[in-house]
Amino acid sequence: MNSPAIATQNLTRAFGQLLAVQDVNLSVAPGQFFGFLGPNGAGKSTTIRMLTGLLAPSSGRVEILGLDLSAHPVEVKRQIGVVPENMALFGRLTGAEYLNFVGRMYGLDRATAASRAAELLDFMQLADQPKALVTDYSHGMQKKLALAAAVIHGPRILFLDEPFEGVDAIASGTLKAMLQRMISRGATIFLTSHVLEIVERLSSHVAIIHRGRLVAQGSLEELRAGVEAQSAAALPNGEASSPGEKLTLEEIFLRIVGGVRLAEQELSWLG
Amino acid sequence: MAGLIASTEARGQFAAIALVRWQLFVNSLRTIRGRLEMVSRVMISLWLALGGLGGATVLGVLSYFFLTRDQGGWIAMLLWIVFLFWQLFPVMASAFAESFDSSSLLRFPLGYRSFFLMRLVYGSLDPGTALGVVWLLGIWMGISAARPLLLLPAAFVLLSFAIVNLFLARAIFAWVERWLAKRRTREIMGVLFLVFVISFQFVGPLTARFGRHRHPGIAQLAETLLPIERLLPPGLAAAGITGLWTSDWVATLGSLALLSAYAIALFWLLNLRMLALYRGENLGEAAAPAKHSREKSPALAGWDVPGVSGPIAAIVEKELRYLWRSGPMLFTLFIPMIILLIFRMTPGMTGSGTFLNAAPDFAFPVAAAYALLMLTNLVYNNFGADGAGVQLWFISPVRFRDIAGGKNLAHASIVSGEMILVWLAVSFLFRPPTIAYTVATVAAVLFVTPVNLSVGNLLSICMPKKFDFGGFGRQRPASAVAFANLLVQAVLFGLIALAYVLGRFLGGVWVTTLILLLLAALAWLGYAVTLRRIDAFALARRETLIAELSRT
Repeated sequence: MNSPAIATQNLTRAFGQLLAVQDVNLSVAPGQFFGFLGPNGAGKSTTIRMLTGLLAPSSGRVEILGLDLSAHPVEVKRQIGVVPENMALFGRLTGAEYLNFVGRMYGLDRATAASRAAELLDFMQLADQPKALVTDYSHGMQKKLALAAAVIHGPRILFLDEPFEGVDAIASGTLKAMLQRMISRGATIFLTSHVLEIVERLSSHVAIIHRGRLVAQGSLEELRAGVEAQSAAALPNGEASSPGEKLTLEEIFLRIVGGVRLAEQELSWLG
Repeated sequence: MAGLIASTEARGQFAAIALVRWQLFVNSLRTIRGRLEMVSRVMISLWLALGGLGGATVLGVLSYFFLTRDQGGWIAMLLWIVFLFWQLFPVMASAFAESFDSSSLLRFPLGYRSFFLMRLVYGSLDPGTALGVVWLLGIWMGISAARPLLLLPAAFVLLSFAIVNLFLARAIFAWVERWLAKRRTREIMGVLFLVFVISFQFVGPLTARFGRHRHPGIAQLAETLLPIERLLPPGLAAAGITGLWTSDWVATLGSLALLSAYAIALFWLLNLRMLALYRGENLGEAAAPAKHSREKSPALAGWDVPGVSGPIAAIVEKELRYLWRSGPMLFTLFIPMIILLIFRMTPGMTGSGTFLNAAPDFAFPVAAAYALLMLTNLVYNNFGADGAGVQLWFISPVRFRDIAGGKNLAHASIVSGEMILVWLAVSFLFRPPTIAYTVATVAAVLFVTPVNLSVGNLLSICMPKKFDFGGFGRQRPASAVAFANLLVQAVLFGLIALAYVLGRFLGGVWVTTLILLLLAALAWLGYAVTLRRIDAFALARRETLIAELSRT
């Protein structure tokens, strides 16, 4: 039996009194492009940080490719690539040096790391400035470099935390081309975003998180057709779905971000 | 009415900034790290207060002494001390003071006057200005005690001098800030500044050397420079004071007029920078413009470090590349050699030379100890330069002990290289160290290095501080770590001194070497134990480490 690429059981993380992520149960099959959608502060980054070993869960379990992350961290990390929110770059190396370095950290030999680094720099259109330090790269270039670093070892799963944040259309096109190529070769991608449009355009499967709880999960088609919200408690007060009521992906997201209510609200001093 | 509203608004803005600074301070006390930092800052402030009061007393007594003995000309020397300290200390101690970033204020409806005043007031809350003011107060009290009638006029002259100092310090800071905004100019400035600081160290040896004999050239130079000195702010203020003393009102008024001219000129210079900042000049690092050369990225392989795994070799390479690209940090590695040169050039009181000239056997151990002290900045904040890159240590499939080990290997190799350089410098400047002292020193280094690496690893994880390898004055670890470092060095050097005394008592340097080798063996054992346990230690503290270093 094929185990899921990513599975969590009651994944919970508390920061003092605040429950940032609460009892999240995710299941991502191998080869899926999984979009993890939610507004700011919903718990997306906390979840992805727990899935990649950057943050310890308060309780619950994370399994990557059938391996328990807490018991086999090194084995799991060999199989995954990560682009964290802050990109994890070393500013005072050149792009080639950085990719070389990351390749070797993932166990590639010197020659392989060097040739893959050169290939990736070409693909990402970063080869024009071989002597520039990463700190002098533009934001978009840094994002592309971070993605290149995340895939240099050929990971089976790629975790991306808001990869298109602050990236222009050209850089974003390069990133998407790279992601599509990975999916076509059987990799699994887990991407977080607060933009519905990005998730809808790229993902085959989607989960929505709000206030640390999973609200809905399924394939894009299922969610577009309408599903019952898993956690009515996570929906804003007064907007909770009645038992049996089905909501589409867009409806759930709009209720979460409070689009309907905002339109009705007025701020007296704004005139 | 409009002016009244504007001033009320400005007062509110001043109060809001004061409040937010207070709230930031109070919020920083929520963590143990923040509280430790506060304790360290209180201790630094106590030292500064002692320096301020002590300095003010000495300057006051000297002012009284000079004036009552008709040697008012020497007042200029006192004012030069205050002037140089006021201007140089803020730049040198930039790591102690939290710089006030006014760029975030620009989004608020702040009038230019308020913006200027806020920069001036909040920017001047630094130890240099505080000590400068206290010292001037000391001089003022000394003058007033010598002749109470001068209480008010002397206050007026010294106040003018203080205003010039205040504007000059702010103008220097504002312009230096502009030059420091770019990585390359920052590094150049850093190296220039270090050269400047080190050149001060040569003043003693040079004056001692040339002071023994009459040099007509120097006397001539002094005569040429003296009129220039009288036209500079400390000389003018001193002329103002002596004018008051001798009732030469013309001299006093002339000095005051020139001091005012200085103040106006400096105000204009400061205003130039403030206006540019107010208009939204961006001093941040901009992305380098893309040069679309046809040059492709060369597929250069990483370093091969014999005897270690690929990841550890990659870490060693990364650390050494970082060091190589940091002008200021690289420069600090040469400071021990420069210090040796200074010692070599300094003639002693008895004519036999300094302590090291008299006992060159100690030159290698002393220089080695100095080199080790310099390197603790690096070791005690292992991850500081990694910034957000620190996350890679936790997402890569490498155990943390290998990461720390790789960094330690890089730093240990720097220590080794530094020891060879120091040995060569001692051989060249004094005489080749004897085998006995060389071996004893190596044994001491073998003892000190693992202890520093172990403690450094733990403190680097517990209390990291983000820093820029290229920026001068920002390589220091957190204040609490600096205190811990002092404590560790005191214990280590105390033990080495004890080993030396025991050696002398029991028969010679070889006994000291044996004791130090025994201590080194224990230290390496301790290092191995801490390294083995560092995985769990780092994992438990990864959130703090990542949050602190990923901060923008």
